Amino acid sequence: MNKVKISAKNIDVFYGDKQALFDVSMDMYEKEVTALIGPSGCGKSTFLRCINRMNDVIDICSVKGNVSIDGHDIYDKSIRVESLRENVGMVFQKPNPFPKSIYENIAYGPRIHGMANSKTDIDEIVENSLQKAALFDEVKDRLHQPGTGLSGGQQQRLCIARAISVNPEIILMDEPCSALDPIATAKIEELMNELKKEFTIIIVTHSMQQAARVSTKTGFFHLGKLIEVDSTETIFSNPGNQKTQDYITGRFG
Amino acid sequence: MMKDHIVSAYDAQLELVSSNLIKMGGLVENQLKNSLQALSNKDTSFAEQIIFDDHKINALEKEIDALTYKIIAMRQPLANDLRVVLSALSIANDLERMGDHATNIAKRVANVKINLPDAPTIEIVKMGEDVQFMIKQVLDSFVKKSDKLAIKAWDSDVNIDDSYLNIYRELLETMAGNPETITGCSHLLSIAKNIERIGDYVQNIAEDIHFIVTGQALERKSEKRINWEDLNQ
Ligand SMILES: Nc1ncnc2c1ncn2[C@@H]1O[C@H](COP(=O)(O)OP(=O)(O)OP(=O)(O)O)[C@@H](O)[C@H]1O
Ligand SMILES: [Mg+2]
Repeated sequence: MNKVKISAKNIDVFYGDKQALFDVSMDMYEKEVTALIGPSGCGKSTFLRCINRMNDVIDICSVKGNVSIDGHDIYDKSIRVESLRENVGMVFQKPNPFPKSIYENIAYGPRIHGMANSKTDIDEIVENSLQKAALFDEVKDRLHQPGTGLSGGQQQRLCIARAISVNPEIILMDEPCSALDPIATAKIEELMNELKKEFTIIIVTHSMQQAARVSTKTGFFHLGKLIEVDSTETIFSNPGNQKTQDYITGRFG
Repeated sequence: MMKDHIVSAYDAQLELVSSNLIKMGGLVENQLKNSLQALSNKDTSFAEQIIFDDHKINALEKEIDALTYKIIAMRQPLANDLRVVLSALSIANDLERMGDHATNIAKRVANVKINLPDAPTIEIVKMGEDVQFMIKQVLDSFVKKSDKLAIKAWDSDVNIDDSYLNIYRELLETMAGNPETITGCSHLLSIAKNIERIGDYVQNIAEDIHFIVTGQALERKSEKRINWEDLNQ
C-alpha cells in the first residue's frame, strides 16, 4: 500500500451562502490514480480545486477544513500559492494551449519559475516533458509551430507536457478526455499509466469505464457529499452503498 | 426493490434474460418430472416424446447466450447488473446439463427392453421427486432474489446424496442376490447417478444466485459427503 500523499479532512466549501461540499474527508495515495465520479454538479471540480487552492481565485468561494500534502497543511499562512501550484499541476476538460509555439508552451513554466535559464537546459526540459507526455515523436519536427495547430488529443497531451514541465508531484485532471475520440482517449489513458509511476494523479471523469480502466481507487460524490470511496474494483463490482450502485449502473434519476 | 435504469431498453433486455432463465428452469423441472413418470410407468412412447422435447431446452440456452453477449457488448453492465449477466450464462449452461441428465433417464426407459426391478425403481423415483423440489426451490430463490432460499436449496443436496448412497447399496445387494437382475439394476444405477448429478447442478445454480444477490461467493461445506468407504463393509 502506497503512502498517503494528499489528505482532505472535513472539507466544507461555500459559494456565497450556497454550500457545495459537505464534510468531505478523503485520503489519496502516492503514485496512484484516484478517480472522482458522480453526477453533474455534485462537487467534483470544487473538490479538485481545493487541492491546488484554485478556489481561492473565486471571490465568493470559501473553504473550511484541512487539506494536507505529505502532512503539510496547504492552507497554512506560510504556504506560497505559486509553489503549491508548481507542485500540483492541473489539466482541464478543454485542451487550453497558449497561443504560442509548442516549444514555448512548455518552456514558459520552467522559465518563469527560474528552473532553467540556458537554452540547452530549456531544450532538454521541453524534450523531456514531451517524451513523458508521449507526444515528442509526433511533434519533434514542428516544435516552433503553434500549439493550437495540433489535434485535440495532441493538444491535451501538450497540456499534460506543460503541467509536468515544472516537476510537479501531483497532477489534477478534470475530465481530460471528454473532448477526445476513443483513440486519443486511449493514448491519454496509456499515458496516465506511465505517469503514475512518477506522479500522484487525481482524475475527475464522467466515464465509468474510464474510471475503471485507469484508477486504483474511486470516490463517488453525490449532492456535495462523498458517499463512498474504495478500491476501484469494489466500487464497480460490488459497491457498499446503494446510491453508488444506482449511479454506476445507470439507475439514477 | 430495484430501481429501473434510466434507459428502459436496458431494463427490457435484463428482464428478458431473467424471464428466459425462469422459462428454461421450468422446462428442465418438467423434463425431470416427465422422465420420472415415464420411469415409474415404464412408458416407452412417453419417453420418446421426452427425448424429443430436449431441443427446446437447448434452444433457450442459445438464446440466453446470445442475449447476454449482446448486453455485454452494448451496455457494459456493472456491479449487480454484471453479476446477473455473467451468472445467467453459467446458470443457463447448468440448466442445459440438467436437461441432458433428465433426458438420459428417458433414453434408458425408451431403449431398455428388460425388466427394471420394482422396489429400487420406486426409491429412485422418490429421490427424483426430491431433486425436482430442489429445482423448484432454486428457481424460486432466483425469482425472489433470496440468498436464504438459495442456501436452502443448496443444503437439500445432502439428502439426495444420502438417498443415492442407500439406493446404490440396495442395488448392489439385489445384484449380488439375483444375478439375473444385474442388467436391469445397472441401468437403474445410471439413472440414479443422473438424478444425483442434477442435484449437484442445483447447488451450482444456488451458488450463482447467492453471488447475484450478495456479491459474495457462497462459502459452505456440506456436513456430509458420500463416503464410498462405507460401501466396502
Ligand atoms: N464559481 C462558482 N460560483 C457559484 N457556484 C458554483 C461555482 N462553481 C461551482 N458552483 C456550484 O457548486 C456545485 C458543485 O459544482 P462543481 O462544478 O464542483 O460540480 P461538478 O461535480 O464538477 O459538476 P460537473 O460534472 O458538471 O463538472 C454546483 O451546484 C455548482 O453550481
Ligand atoms: Mg466539473
